[in-house]
Amino acid sequence: MVREKTNALATTRARSYKPMNDFHFQSISKRINLYGLMGIFMLLMVWELSARWIWQDIQVLPSPIQCLDMAWQVLTAQELVMHIAASLSRILIGFTFAAVIGVGLGIAVGWYQYLGLAFKPILELLRPIPPLAWIPMAIVWFGLGEPSKWFVIFLGSFFPIFTNAWRGMVGIPPVILRAAQTMDVKGFELLLKVAIPAALPDIATGLRVAFGLAFGILVAAELIASDSGLGYLIMQSRETSRLGVAIFGILLIGFLSMLADDILARLLKKFVSRGRY
Amino acid sequence: MKSVTNKIDLNNVYKKFITDPENMQPVLGDVSLQIEENEFVVLLGRSGCGKTTLLNIVAGLELATSGKVQVDGIDVTGPGRGKGMVFQQGALFPWLNAEQNIQFAARKQGLNVEQSKELSQKLLLLVGLAGAEKKYPFELSGGMQQRVAIARALALDPQILLMDEPFGALDELTRIEMQNELLRVWSLKQKTVVFVTHSIWEGLMLADRIIVLAPRPGRIVLEKKIDRQRPRKRSDPMLIELYEEIWTSLQ
Amino acid sequence: MNYKIKSLLIPLIVLTVFVLSWELASFWGYLKPTRFPAPSKLLMSFLDLIFSGYPADVTIDQHLLKTIERIIIGFLLSVCLGVPFGLLIGGFHALDRLTSTIIAFCRSIATLSLLPLAIVWFGTGEQSKIFLIAYGCFWVMLSNVIEAVKQVDPLMMKAAKTMDIDGIELFLKVILPSVLPRIFAGMRISLGVGFMVIVGAEMIGTVIGLGSLIMEARTFYRTDITMVGMMILGLMGFLMTTGLAWLEKKLMPWQQQEHDRTSP
Repeated sequence: MVREKTNALATTRARSYKPMNDFHFQSISKRINLYGLMGIFMLLMVWELSARWIWQDIQVLPSPIQCLDMAWQVLTAQELVMHIAASLSRILIGFTFAAVIGVGLGIAVGWYQYLGLAFKPILELLRPIPPLAWIPMAIVWFGLGEPSKWFVIFLGSFFPIFTNAWRGMVGIPPVILRAAQTMDVKGFELLLKVAIPAALPDIATGLRVAFGLAFGILVAAELIASDSGLGYLIMQSRETSRLGVAIFGILLIGFLSMLADDILARLLKKFVSRGRY
Repeated sequence: MKSVTNKIDLNNVYKKFITDPENMQPVLGDVSLQIEENEFVVLLGRSGCGKTTLLNIVAGLELATSGKVQVDGIDVTGPGRGKGMVFQQGALFPWLNAEQNIQFAARKQGLNVEQSKELSQKLLLLVGLAGAEKKYPFELSGGMQQRVAIARALALDPQILLMDEPFGALDELTRIEMQNELLRVWSLKQKTVVFVTHSIWEGLMLADRIIVLAPRPGRIVLEKKIDRQRPRKRSDPMLIELYEEIWTSLQ
Repeated sequence: MNYKIKSLLIPLIVLTVFVLSWELASFWGYLKPTRFPAPSKLLMSFLDLIFSGYPADVTIDQHLLKTIERIIIGFLLSVCLGVPFGLLIGGFHALDRLTSTIIAFCRSIATLSLLPLAIVWFGTGEQSKIFLIAYGCFWVMLSNVIEAVKQVDPLMMKAAKTMDIDGIELFLKVILPSVLPRIFAGMRISLGVGFMVIVGAEMIGTVIGLGSLIMEARTFYRTDITMVGMMILGLMGFLMTTGLAWLEKKLMPWQQQEHDRTSP
């Protein structure tokens, strides 16, 4: 029988823009052009000169070169790699869990309406809680080690992934499902071969958004309660009054998250957007 | 001797939407219609007269509240099983290209990979899209998309072909072109066709028999056989006369 | 029983079962009070927070107001800076190309990673927190305003020009109404970001504010207060999103609602 409920829900959804096509939300490498690089270079120059000539206080605003110098003095390459690895591994573990469970649950809840009724209330109660607010609870339940970080990153990544997967399923144009039904596709085959492919763009969006959030959550968690990783590095540099290291760390995180988002976007584009729908 | 079972048999079909208030007239009042094999029947009427609902009931996408609905003597209980359908727009799978869309249907018929590839190429040639196999739906114009949709429906080797205003979203010139294309394809691949439209001329150009429906309660108000060779001319006096008759019955 | 009744009843039943089993499990000793306080204890702690306050007599409304105050000030700052800059950059193609990479990069910087920097520059007081919130909100605001300007329908502009509308009138009567919805959506998302940032920002170096409340409470094993704090934050977040969505509908009924991809 026709999924009449999908019909009703689909018509009340509003999709007035697709963020993936916005220039400002596209993958980073698409946005890097000559002018952009020029802009960055100009900014770096301004920073360098004003730091050296105007502020002249290495404790408050080290110039880019001074930052690098401080970082060089304090860190060994080994240490740096260790911190980066610690941070990245936390994100990967937390995010992967969130991706698997979030996509799975989102698809299930979107397809089987009654399942949705059972799960949604609890999820809707938990969702508005900001991910960082879970940090104290995570420490209570899991201690100060790795699992508490995985947990917080998982929670922060889960909701965007779940919501978008659910929405993707619910927003499938009914005519596509009907067309498949006229071709004798039903039940599980309908879900696997028609519904999920149709929902894939939304699922991909959810994954990308969640991944971006995950970085922010990770850093915060490391600032507050950790003894390794890039966030910890930044926090620690304050105590040793080496602001340059902090700035270095901040920029490094920013750069890494841009890189990671770009890789993810390319990967997703490869598997999802062949039809560019 | 060929037995005289009709291809499609509708008897006292009555349908009322659950969401309709008590005192509202039903979408379909008491519709009886018999369609023979390889007949091209057009259901014509304004929006809301129940023609799409009737088509959906024949397709098995909706169920009649009461009445007999049979295809080939068997009750219709669900979609599929030889009831190919072409929708107005947007029914192609956007994640598959033209070829793959058709192959999807062919595979469902039990053909293996090579056979389905061969079939998809033949059908694309038939609908005039040889060379566009690798294009995705978003790369195709409206007319081309509908050609692929028709090819895909034909890949099912269906018993009947149901078409729900398939050319309604196209501009006038493409529409006329597609009507001719459809007739050409139909002459090569004999099928029973039920075609829904709100364009009187479209009906006159295509149909063996035109069924005019009126809304609430949905019922047949006019039924006319058109005994003219195709392709037909708009200047044909018999057709113009029919036009007037149909137009009046729609008021 | 039709779908509508079911859709209200089942969630209600699920929730009741959930809360009841939680309470019972606590009561029978299956859940440790420090790891999983019972709902009844949470209720009592909530009342406690209203009347006696924690820590050191700071009542819950003081915490709440402080948090809101920080968000609002930071948010307003970001709007005051973000909208004009966004309009400028969005309006001039050259500026856009020059700044796009910088903006992309600055958005990628995890706002909370700037916390140590903020403390050095602004001290441990309010300003550092507000700076962080403003920073986080600003880039989101900016990006959305830029996109809003770039998405003004050129067809509409042409139509306006054929009606002899130009200059200031063009800006006020044509451009502004068409960018407003997107800007509003940007505000909504931006506020959400601010909300997320403040929770983390308050966990270091302050004793007033919901973020600090839940963190402090944990240190003294008052997990019940932590949970109450989390629930209040959740409620706050929920009211914010629904409230703003309602406001958007009221002010701009002609626009379809845009979906923020981080929340429904």
